[in-house]
Amino acid sequence: MLEIKNITKIYTKGGDKFTALDTVSFKVEKGEFIAVVGPSGSGKSTLLHTIGGLIHPDSGQVLYKGNDVYKMSNQDVNRYRKENVGFVFQQFHLMPYLTVYENIKIAGVEAESKKGKIEELLEKCALLSLKNKYPSELSVGEKQRTAFIRAIISKPGILLADEPTGNLDPENSKILMSLIEDFHQSGGTVLLVSHQSETSKYANRMITLRSGKLL
Amino acid sequence: MNPFKLVIKELFYRKVSSLVILVTVIAASTVSVAVYTLSKASENETRKIMREQGLNLYIFPKGTNLLDFYSVNNTPTFPENYIDTLAESKTFDAVRHLTGILQLKYPNWTDPNGSSHQIVVMGYKDEAMQRFLSKQETMGFDVEQGTVHVGSLLSVNIPEGEKFEITGNDGKQYEFEIAKRFEEGKGMLDQGVAFNLSDLQQVLGMEGQINKIEALGCVCHDGRINNARNQVQNIFSDLEVTEISSIADARENQRLMMNKYGSFIIPFILIVSMLISGLLFYSNVTGRRYEIGIMKAMGKSKSYILFIVLLKALLIGFAGSFAGFFAGSFIAEYFGKEIFSFTAISIKPLWSLFGFSVIIFPILWMLSSWIPALMASQIDAAKTLGKE
Repeated sequence: MLEIKNITKIYTKGGDKFTALDTVSFKVEKGEFIAVVGPSGSGKSTLLHTIGGLIHPDSGQVLYKGNDVYKMSNQDVNRYRKENVGFVFQQFHLMPYLTVYENIKIAGVEAESKKGKIEELLEKCALLSLKNKYPSELSVGEKQRTAFIRAIISKPGILLADEPTGNLDPENSKILMSLIEDFHQSGGTVLLVSHQSETSKYANRMITLRSGKLL
Repeated sequence: MNPFKLVIKELFYRKVSSLVILVTVIAASTVSVAVYTLSKASENETRKIMREQGLNLYIFPKGTNLLDFYSVNNTPTFPENYIDTLAESKTFDAVRHLTGILQLKYPNWTDPNGSSHQIVVMGYKDEAMQRFLSKQETMGFDVEQGTVHVGSLLSVNIPEGEKFEITGNDGKQYEFEIAKRFEEGKGMLDQGVAFNLSDLQQVLGMEGQINKIEALGCVCHDGRINNARNQVQNIFSDLEVTEISSIADARENQRLMMNKYGSFIIPFILIVSMLISGLLFYSNVTGRRYEIGIMKAMGKSKSYILFIVLLKALLIGFAGSFAGFFAGSFIAEYFGKEIFSFTAISIKPLWSLFGFSVIIFPILWMLSSWIPALMASQIDAAKTLGKE
């Protein structure tokens, strides 16, 4: 489904070069749940963003269903992100002026059938009664669950979760991880970056990065 | 989600910054509309003052002795239908406001007290509409048939309620209603009487004759007076053109001054306001980098992000221009009445400007947000959203 081939990404800051990813290669099969672990600065987030089409690697390929994401036109990369990739970040990045419902709807959900799907997911994530609330009126757990629904509402093939429980208490972490696990069980592919071993236990494969290299 | 709704929600969420940008647009729009309206009022004022002073370009029969023109009663005349020929001509466009006049000295007018006076009689033909030029407000005298306008020196000799009486060349006595009594200070007209042309022609037995065409329109510095002379003489070689330069210069200077003033102040205000707005849009975009980053992560295109920033500028520009038009018109009306005494009543909102401003200001404000919008569309989502 997804193949990462010899990805290298080097950042330059103030004349100094920093290798975030060093010829990283691995394959992801459909329906896998992969935990990406490693110390801070090891390149975990860079790897996730590269897979998500947000960071152009200096060399190497990201092949999704055989197509190189970075050889696609801008329009096709946008479509790749919209239809095939869902992002969940540690900072929830909800639009402060949109309600819970609107924050999900902005992910491009217009069809009536999908509006019903929003309600269904809100119900499942215990957010239905909060659907007209603004982010400032939500707890951190509620915010992250909203961001999670936004990420999966368009039924992406891959969910890229960048330390999604980093700001959550253990109880909310557990709720979110069970939602991610449900997504995985329903056939979704998950790549999850985490520091916490608790969250990594949901994965059926673990990838370890250190100084940009895959161990 | 509808981008329009998204922009409106963001506008109301960031009330203060939106309001500051809106106020900037309103201020720019208000000043521009007020200055433009006042400059138009100034032009009207000039036109009305000119009307009081007379027109600035005289067309006489060739060979007319101008030294004697105002003091004799036998100057050469020409057919009044010459003016119609000029007005119908495609090649005669150097002057406007063609007014046919018969002006003579009337040597022996007897006032109601029985005293005899030399007076100047002037018959005014209705201003000719030039068929191949755009319509303009008339400037000439409008003297109704059967009425006269009398100068101040005559007026003091005619009691209120009395009619103006004059003996015709045919020996008959003619009576006219006095429609207007001029204040003193009208020059030649102080000792004159203005008639409708056909009335005066009948009194003097000079049907179909005039001895002068007054007109306006020479912008002397660019040679249009010579152009006017050539155009007249190409049509009627028996006529010649004389310019009353002091009036023409005054009008020209006034117009140039107002044009220079308007062409400096309006762009200046617009550019400063657009720069301020551009900085505010930049600040707005910087504050929204996470939103923009997440939009990109959701697959929204650069053009979508560009569009929502420009749409915001368009909406603010539209609202600001709308409010600014009424505020500017109000200011022009309020202060203009103090400044322009002749045209005070006619200082009103320029509705043609309304259409122009509600189109041009939104476009200008979209331009002012163009660079911030481009920056927004270039925001690196990975850098913004990532934490490593």
